Amino acid sequence: MALARHNLGTVVAFEFIRTIKKRGFAVATLAIPVLLILVFALIYASNSSSHASADAQKNAKFSFSYTDASGIIAPAGAQAAGGTVTSDSAAAIEAVKNGTSEAYFAYPADPTKEPVKVYGADKGMFENGKYEAVAKQLLEASAQYQVKNPALTAALTGTVKFDSETYKNGQVAAGIGGVIPPLLFLVVFYVSMILLSNLMLNSTLEEKENRVTEMILTTLNPTTLITGKIISLFMVGLVQVLVFLAPVGLAYLFFRDSLALPEMNLSSLVFEPGPMITGALLLIGGFTVFTGVLVAIGAIMPTAKEAGTIFGPLMAMMFIPFYTFSMVISNPEALIVQVFTYFPLTAPVTALLRNGFGTLSPLEAGIVIVELFVVGILILRLAVHLFRYGSIEYGRKLSIAGTFRRTDLATK
Amino acid sequence: MTLGDAAEPLVHIQDFRMDFGDTTVIRDLSFDVHAGETFGFLGSNGSGKTTTLRALLGIYQPTAGTLHIGGKVFEPRDGARLGYLPEERGLYKKEPVLDVMVYFGRLKGLSKAAARSWSESYLERVGIPEKAKTRLDKLSGGQQQKVQLGVTIMNNPELLILDEPTKGFDPVNRRLLMDIIEEHKRAGATVIMVTHQMEEVERLCDRVILLKDGVSRAYGTVEEVQEEFGGTVYRVTYDGVLPPSDLYEVISVSEGRAELAPGQGASEEKVLRELVEAGVSLRSFTPARISLDEIFIKVYGEQHELAEAK
Repeated sequence: MALARHNLGTVVAFEFIRTIKKRGFAVATLAIPVLLILVFALIYASNSSSHASADAQKNAKFSFSYTDASGIIAPAGAQAAGGTVTSDSAAAIEAVKNGTSEAYFAYPADPTKEPVKVYGADKGMFENGKYEAVAKQLLEASAQYQVKNPALTAALTGTVKFDSETYKNGQVAAGIGGVIPPLLFLVVFYVSMILLSNLMLNSTLEEKENRVTEMILTTLNPTTLITGKIISLFMVGLVQVLVFLAPVGLAYLFFRDSLALPEMNLSSLVFEPGPMITGALLLIGGFTVFTGVLVAIGAIMPTAKEAGTIFGPLMAMMFIPFYTFSMVISNPEALIVQVFTYFPLTAPVTALLRNGFGTLSPLEAGIVIVELFVVGILILRLAVHLFRYGSIEYGRKLSIAGTFRRTDLATK
Repeated sequence: MTLGDAAEPLVHIQDFRMDFGDTTVIRDLSFDVHAGETFGFLGSNGSGKTTTLRALLGIYQPTAGTLHIGGKVFEPRDGARLGYLPEERGLYKKEPVLDVMVYFGRLKGLSKAAARSWSESYLERVGIPEKAKTRLDKLSGGQQQKVQLGVTIMNNPELLILDEPTKGFDPVNRRLLMDIIEEHKRAGATVIMVTHQMEEVERLCDRVILLKDGVSRAYGTVEEVQEEFGGTVYRVTYDGVLPPSDLYEVISVSEGRAELAPGQGASEEKVLRELVEAGVSLRSFTPARISLDEIFIKVYGEQHELAEAK
């Protein structure tokens, strides 16, 4: 037992260190945060320039003339903004054309039916926006001035906040705040599989391709080897996630306003124990199933290239349930949703989605969790068996039945 | 921890049979290897040597029979006292030499410091200390073999199983390898060696087994096997044509040199007289022990083909 623990620790350390020491790993891992930093920098630069430009446009000072058939425009406000009222529309347009006036706004009798016509001297595509911005601001400010009621103004301008409350079984339902937390398990599942699946596939192929299997099998229990590899891959994934999240975290903490990142109000999230525990179990069960399948593929296939032909369709199984996304939410009893819920390779994503949106009953959740764990453990055991008897088949594709026939004969 | 009781054979194989599908590759194979002896495992390619070793080490499941090391079926946890150099060589090719050696040293129960220290000394001994931090795939084939051998013996194993150890070695490194094997033998290790180098078997091995088509064709000490296959041969140099005779069998013949295995009731005098009377002009006639090479050829029927060709 002590030796097994020692060996497990040795495998984990060896696999983890050699993976993170690889130049390719460093490049691939650092590429994403570098890209994120680059994108953030561009957003920062763009936002700074956009804000400055928008403010400059709104507050732009220039002389203009206007006609007001609606009677909404407050003359004092217009004058303060640099406007002069006129009654000759044609002359005002002509003045803009020949450059003696910078702009002319024609407010119609009913702005809800007719557009406000804006004429201006061309200042370039971007700066031309200032004419419309000032015309609009003048109309809004004049309307608010006429209403003389902040509440009505807020209602009219759509700045009123709404706070909904719904009830389920007599209790306040969590709403979207209750959907997000369990869906985070789905995000973790996708991220871990996308980051780790290729490493999982290749980690068992490596022993085979390097013909190191015999040395390993006479030194180490294959279960210990595979367990060690899975643990080390999980640690590698964790390192990657931390590296990926670092720039996002830093950006949020120090540059949230500059980058126009939305404010996260965590108090609105509801962590209901049932969906959270179900989500965690579905995540672990799903991870077990996919890990077992990937290790098994590695044991069967002679090279990474050949393994790739199966790897693609397998990964597609993770995305197929999204084709039925609307049914998963609105009609969970549909046949296709039921099939996806219970088929082991589509079950993790479908069940995690349904769990998040509250359409997975406790009974269904129990069945899927048990199924995932049972199937996952069986596939992992099969994977260890195939590695045990398959990885010695250097350069040849393994016959799964053959490995069992050999064992059957041995027990006779 | 030891692999077994010194009074019992360290390796015990009894009635071993191995089938792959409908093909039986080993049948009714039985032999023992005692602690401290060096055992030669002989046979042509495909005769079942590697299969037997893999079954002994639990890599293959035997179809039938008993295969024990130290009185029980081998398990990986016993690997700390085992040194196994497989026929299919390979290590983690993209990792530095020292890292791989330390990894296997750790798996064989050595501390990290001990594994590192031993590895550095070994690389120094085999003349590649500067390769410690080099990736394995950047080494020559011979250098990789040296690293593989180092990984095999770094835990000072009680039982050393070497499947064609000299494969890939040049004559100089072959000598180095043989010296290392001899050191372990002197230190009391049990050595099982699969090889086609018969002179090495004669020099190092206490006992041998010769397999053909998965069946034992000879088993015992080198002397016993030589005796079983005629014991003595007559080496002759001559002019003329060797006549067929009931007194001897031509084992090998080449450019005026031949080896004759005496038949039933033959003696030196009788064979010599027969040759002289047949008109063979003898330049020398030397009685000698039959070599394992000759026995190997005899078992595999080469002498028959040669005689037919002649």
